[in-house]
Amino acid sequence: MPMCLVPYPENCTGCRFCEIICSLSHERVVSLEKARLRVVRKDIATDIPFVCAQCQNEENKCCAEVCPEDAIFFDGKALVVDEVRCTGCGLCERACAYGVIRVSGVARKCDLCGGDPLCVKFCPFGAIKYEEIKKENFRKILAMMEVSF
Amino acid sequence: MKEHCWHLLDIDLSDLSFTRTEIADDLKANYLGGEGLAVKLFTDAADPKIDPFSPRNPVVIAPGLLTGLPIPTASKTAFVSKSPLTGTIAESIMGGGIGIQMKMTGAYVIRITGKAKEPVILLIDNGSVIFESGSKYWGLSTREAEMAIKHDHGDYVVATIGPAGETLVRYACIDCEGRQAGRAGIGAVLGSKNLKAIGVRGNGDLPVYDAERLISLALKWQEIMEKSNAFIEDTKYGSGEFLEWVNSERGVFPTKNWKESVFDERKEIDPYYWAPKYSLKNKACFACTKACGKLFVIREGRYAGTLLDGIEYETLYALGGQCGNPDIEALAKANELCDLFGIDTISTGVVIGFVMELVERGLLSVKDIGIDCRFGNSEAVPKMVELIGKREGLGALFGEGVARIAKTIGGDSEDYALHVKGMEPPAYDVRGLKGMGLGFMTSSRGACHLRSGFYALDLTGKFWRFEGVDRLSTKDKGIMVKAMEDFMMIYDCLGICKFSRGFFKIEGFIDLISVAIGKSYTEEELLLIGERINNVKQIFNLRAGIGRESYRLPKRITCEPISSGASKGAVLTEKEAEEMLSEYFIARGWDLKGIPTKEKLAQLGLNHLINWNKTEIDRRSLES
Ligand code: SF4
Ligand code: SF4
Ligand code: SF4
Repeated sequence: MPMCLVPYPENCTGCRFCEIICSLSHERVVSLEKARLRVVRKDIATDIPFVCAQCQNEENKCCAEVCPEDAIFFDGKALVVDEVRCTGCGLCERACAYGVIRVSGVARKCDLCGGDPLCVKFCPFGAIKYEEIKKENFRKILAMMEVSF
Repeated sequence: MKEHCWHLLDIDLSDLSFTRTEIADDLKANYLGGEGLAVKLFTDAADPKIDPFSPRNPVVIAPGLLTGLPIPTASKTAFVSKSPLTGTIAESIMGGGIGIQMKMTGAYVIRITGKAKEPVILLIDNGSVIFESGSKYWGLSTREAEMAIKHDHGDYVVATIGPAGETLVRYACIDCEGRQAGRAGIGAVLGSKNLKAIGVRGNGDLPVYDAERLISLALKWQEIMEKSNAFIEDTKYGSGEFLEWVNSERGVFPTKNWKESVFDERKEIDPYYWAPKYSLKNKACFACTKACGKLFVIREGRYAGTLLDGIEYETLYALGGQCGNPDIEALAKANELCDLFGIDTISTGVVIGFVMELVERGLLSVKDIGIDCRFGNSEAVPKMVELIGKREGLGALFGEGVARIAKTIGGDSEDYALHVKGMEPPAYDVRGLKGMGLGFMTSSRGACHLRSGFYALDLTGKFWRFEGVDRLSTKDKGIMVKAMEDFMMIYDCLGICKFSRGFFKIEGFIDLISVAIGKSYTEEELLLIGERINNVKQIFNLRAGIGRESYRLPKRITCEPISSGASKGAVLTEKEAEEMLSEYFIARGWDLKGIPTKEKLAQLGLNHLINWNKTEIDRRSLES
C-alpha cells in the first residue's frame, strides 16, 4: 500500500526542525528554501506543515502527470524525480496543489526518504505522520489549505 | 565542505547606509559566535561611557554558532548593547527565527548604530539591505507590527519592538514570532534609534562540515532528550513545572515583593493546574524540538480572547507571586500585554510588586496611580502593565525600573527596592540560595539567573562538575560561580538553550562543534573562551564606571530573614556576600576591586586590553 505524509497542524509547534533535517539530509546543507516540505506560520497560534501528498489518486492532479519529460515516476515507495530527465521547466511546481515541490535547476520533491521519513522521525509531537494514502487525507490537506490561504 | 563565510553587516541608521565585511577567522575561533562574538563586536565599537540612548550606542545581533542546525534547542540569537536599565554591557537572548535567517542571508552578525530621522524598518532580503518607512507601524503592538510588515513586504522573519520600546521603557524587549529577547531593555535602545523592526529573509545555504554525522548526532541527542525529565515534564507543563517544589521543598519562591518566600495561594498559577485547562498545544522556538512553550488560550470570561505563547516560570513569579496575584487568567492577560507592548515580564512584575509595597507603606497612593494597586488585587496587574506600556501618568515613572523609581520616590523606598546593578531579580529567593545570590551580584547585567545558572546547583545540590552543594552555605561559592559563568557562556555562544542543560553538557558540544565547522575544541579551551568573554565584559563595565560598589544585594536580602517555609530564617548577610565576592574575584584572577590582572588578561589573549586604563581616567576614579 503506498504511503504518504499527513500533516496534523493541531500538533505542530512551529519549530521547523522538519525543514532543517530534510534539507540537510537531501542537500547536505541547512536551507529552508531547499527543504521538500515547509512549515507556514499563519499566526502565533497556527503553524501548518505542508507536506507532499504523493498524489497517487485519481481525484488529484499531480506533478508526475504534468511533467512533459516523464521525469517524475513512482519508484515503488514514492513519486520521485529522475534528475537526469528533469529539465527544470517548472510545470510540476505550478501543478502541485500543496506548494511543496520546488524547482530551481532541477525539481526537488519529497521522496519519503526511501520509506523512513526523517521529518516524521524527528517531529516529537506527531505533527507529521506517515500513513496510507487515503481519500480523506487528500481532502484534509486541501481543506487545510483553504483555511490558511 | 567549506566552512561558512561569516559577514558583519554594519548598519548606520543616521544616513541609512551599510557596509559588509568578512569576520576574521581569529574572532570566530576566540569568540565562537552568539553572545561571545556579539560582545566582541560590540565592545570594539562602543564607548563605555556612552549614554545607552545615544545614537552611538551600538546594538549587535548574533546567532549562535550552532543556531539553526538540527540539534535539540539550538535556537538562540543574542542581542548585545549597553543597557538603559543598568548602564552595563548587556545581552538579551531570544529563540525567534531571526538568527537562522541572518545566517542564510550570509550576514552572520548585524551591528546597528546611529539614529534614523524618522521611524524606519530594516529589511534584509538575502544580499540586499532595504530601509523602509516605519511610521505606519509606529505605535503598533509587536504582534500587529509583525503581521503588518509581513503583509506589506513579504515573508520576512520579523523582530520588532512594541510601543514600550518606542517610548523608551527601560526594560523594553524585542519580540520575534512570539519569543522575546526580554531582559535589559535593548528594545528601548532600538526605540531610541527610531528602528521599529528588523525583517530578515535568507534563501541561502548553511553549510555544515559533516552532514552525515550531524544527522546521526541529531538523532542521538533527540533520543537522549526525549528520555530526559527536562523534556517529559517541560513539554507537559512548561518551565513552571517545578513551581510547587520550589515553594514547598525549598521555600525560595519570592512573593509579594520578596516579603515572603512561599506563595500560599499558588494553586492556580501552578501549570499542573492550568496547562491541561488552558494550554492548546506546545510551542517551540525556532529549531527546537523540545518545545517548552504553551499556547495559552482564554475562551470566556473577562479576559476572553487572551492568546499567548507562555507562561514561563519567571513570569508566573513576576506577574503572579511577586504581586500576590493568584488569578491565572489575570496573570495570562498581563503576560500577553507585556508581550504586545514589548516589555520584559520579570522587570515589569517586580516593578508592580514594588509599587504595591510602596502603596502599602503609604509612599504612593492608589489615587495617584489610578489603579487599586495592592497585593492580591489580581485585576490591578494587567491594568498596571497597560499603564506602563503606554507610559501614562505614573506609568512614565514605573517604566524607569525599580532603582530609578526608588530614587524618585525617596524616603526609605530603596530599602524595599529589589534590584542588583539596577536590574530586577528573577524568581529565586537567594537568601536560601546563596551561590545564586553571588551570581546575582557578579552577573554583568545585574540580577540575573542565567549568566551563572547557579540555581541549578543550589536547588538540587549537584550539577555538572559539582555535587554536595549546600544552598545555605557560602563555602566555595566564589570558585563555583566563576566556573559556572564560564560554562554557561558556551551555551550562549553556541545558541543552545539553557533549558537543555538537563541533558546537554559541554562534552556534547565538542562533537557538535566539530561536525558543524570541522574544528575541534577541548573542554578546557571552550571554558577559556567563556572566561575570555566574561573578562571582556568586565573591562567594559569597569570603563563604564561600574566597580565593586555596584555589586550589592538589596537590603531585604541582606537584612530580613525569610519568614516562613523550608528556608525560614535564611538570610544572606552583607558580610557573607562580600566574602563570596572577594573569593570570586580571586578565582577570576582579578584584584579585590574586580579589576582583571595583567597576567589574567595575557593568559586569555586579551593583550590589547591590558592597557585599558592608561588612556583613561576611569581606573583612577574607581580606585579613589
Ligand atoms: S518538526 Fe513537527 S512540530 Fe516542528 S515544525 Fe515540523 S511538523 Fe511542526
Ligand atoms: S510534489 Fe505536489 S503534486 Fe507532486 S506528489 Fe507531492 S504533493 Fe502531489
Ligand atoms: S527549550 Fe523552550 S525556550 Fe528553549 S529553545 Fe526549546 S522551546 Fe525555546
